[in-house]
Amino acid sequence: MGSPFDINGGACVAMVGKDCVAIACDLRLGMQALTISNNFPKIFNYAPSTYLGLTGLATDVNTVSDLFRYKVNMYRLREERHISPSDPGQPGQLIVPFICGFDSIGCIDFAKDFIVSGTASDQLFGTCEGLWEPDLGPEDLFETISQALLSAVDRDALSGWGAQVYIIEKDKVTQRLLKGRQD
Amino acid sequence: MTSLMDHQARETVGYSFSESTAGVKQHGFYPYTDNGGSTLGITGSDFAILAGDTRSTSGYNINSRMVPKVFKIGGDDETGEGATIVLSVVGFAADGNALKERLDTVVKMYKYQHGKPMSVSACAQRLSTILYQKRFFPYYVHAILAGLDEEGKGALYSYDPVGSYEREQCRAAGAAASLIMPFLDNQVNFKNQYIPGSGEGHALAAKKPEPLPLETVKGLVRDAFTSAVERHIEVGDNLQMVIITKDGIEEVYHPLKKD
Repeated sequence: MGSPFDINGGACVAMVGKDCVAIACDLRLGMQALTISNNFPKIFNYAPSTYLGLTGLATDVNTVSDLFRYKVNMYRLREERHISPSDPGQPGQLIVPFICGFDSIGCIDFAKDFIVSGTASDQLFGTCEGLWEPDLGPEDLFETISQALLSAVDRDALSGWGAQVYIIEKDKVTQRLLKGRQD
Repeated sequence: MTSLMDHQARETVGYSFSESTAGVKQHGFYPYTDNGGSTLGITGSDFAILAGDTRSTSGYNINSRMVPKVFKIGGDDETGEGATIVLSVVGFAADGNALKERLDTVVKMYKYQHGKPMSVSACAQRLSTILYQKRFFPYYVHAILAGLDEEGKGALYSYDPVGSYEREQCRAAGAAASLIMPFLDNQVNFKNQYIPGSGEGHALAAKKPEPLPLETVKGLVRDAFTSAVERHIEVGDNLQMVIITKDGIEEVYHPLKKD
């Protein structure tokens, strides 16, 4: 049997822009080569501008996202404020673009450019390294992350079937659905 | 193919002290190694480019920082002067060299016997035959062959280790193929790119791929490799770029990161 990380397939990517960040994922859920669903988003929202993308074993994606929602809800009730992506979070802290990635045991990768994960991570490293540049505005960042994700998942049999993209700005979040190749 | 090479993964933990010698000792024969590196080819309307990095690795070791992977085929002397066809090989370097020597000899013999240079399409078919002749002990390489076709257009053929081949506009092979290929799909064949305002909703017209100018392609090749070097440990040191035009073959080297 294959590794739990690539049974269900899926890909996720986040990028930093100028006064904005973007996070995107594909929509496939599979069992090995068989596609079960083409509507399985892997990005979850925890506060007005805090998003988490999870790839790997689908049951664990659900478990971790639910457990994290519970923890964040308890935090909000206790602290009477929303959680922030980078925490130690004093109220009224400086709002700056922030992304980071985690391995499966919690080691943090504080990247200044982009973070990739999932079965298409090799492909995403290639496209992101080739397409990303510093200080992209929201619209350019959307185009960059979308092209990077769609091109990457088209070269990975376990990812694809459409994509979901979030563009997070200071006081606005835009969600877009991309069709992409349906195969 | 990987099953021929993952013998190390099946071995027991590598303790520094000697393990029990009880039981039957099994001998193995592992005739292949992976020397890493990556190659890439792109064609235009009147040229073809083949490129590769010059790093040679085995495991985490760097054997050499200057082992070219792109070879001129069927030249008049050792320098490859007068050649019109170029071959790149990535994978097991010894097999790559053996394959290059074989094809070089074949193309030379063709010229001596027929009094005219071999066409790229004929050379492409011959290379497929050479690879398939070793179907059950293959040359452990991904080969890419480039030249100009009978109409003077750029021609590029890519191969699997046992001789399946296809003419293409662009192809990446080797260790960083998975990183470079989706970038090429997007930037050379304009995959996932649509013409703005050409239709309603999802009925947009796809951007059609067209042959790119030489300077654009040179830029893409260098970008592809600097990106691959950043994220793949087996790629680096120098970029060897071979440009085939009707005026002959130009070979240039650019430095890449050496870490």
